Amino acid sequence: MTPVSALLIFVALILYILGQLFLKHAMEDDLGSARFKKNFAVGLSTMTVSFFITLGLLQHFELSYLYPFQGLSVVIISLLAAAILREKLTPRLFIGAALISAGVVLVSLS
Amino acid sequence: MIQKIKKLLLNPWFQLVLSVLFVTTSEVFLKRGAVEAPRLSEEMNWTGVSGLASPDVWYGILFVIASFISWLYVLRFIPLTIAYPLSNVVHVLVPLASWFFLNEHISVQRWCGIALVLLGVLIVAKPIAQMEENL
Repeated sequence: MTPVSALLIFVALILYILGQLFLKHAMEDDLGSARFKKNFAVGLSTMTVSFFITLGLLQHFELSYLYPFQGLSVVIISLLAAAILREKLTPRLFIGAALISAGVVLVSLS
Repeated sequence: MIQKIKKLLLNPWFQLVLSVLFVTTSEVFLKRGAVEAPRLSEEMNWTGVSGLASPDVWYGILFVIASFISWLYVLRFIPLTIAYPLSNVVHVLVPLASWFFLNEHISVQRWCGIALVLLGVLIVAKPIAQMEENL
């Protein structure tokens, strides 16, 4: 893995996490409101950029190696959803999320 | 019959399953397409734009859009702290599909990681399955 590909993997991950949070926030809103449109547009844009970066990375790495990097997003998204969107994060949900992230990291290290 | 199908389609948990299956399908198409796409200059390659020359990439994009629509429906009804961990069952399904359809090799360590992901998904899913039964 070169510094460029590491940076691209990182940027794709951050944009993807932001996209999920903005989309979730948007979908809880009144679908006709201006606030929905703004949040939805931001979420869709960051996800689209993340998608094309990932597509470029796929030309250089095996799918089963590359894709699981996004698994780190599980713990991050669960924590941010609880902190920012004020969702309930029970210990059980957090343990589940942590196991998923750990599993995904194990997959990407092998 | 139509009523039953409609009820199923409106069920956010069913849409979550659909979303995950669509994502898995899209990833297999995208990988196939990205490999067969003609190589442009090195810098262009990193953007992935050259991948658009392959029909498989377009099929992949169609499945991405389908999964996205299902996912938006899921987001409207299920908290992110539950829906997002569950959607990560793709980290079990995608390696399995890569192995089955793309002949990619999966090491023992990777199988262990896949098993951990599955365990995490089951831990999140179990209380929900019980909750749904009680409804």
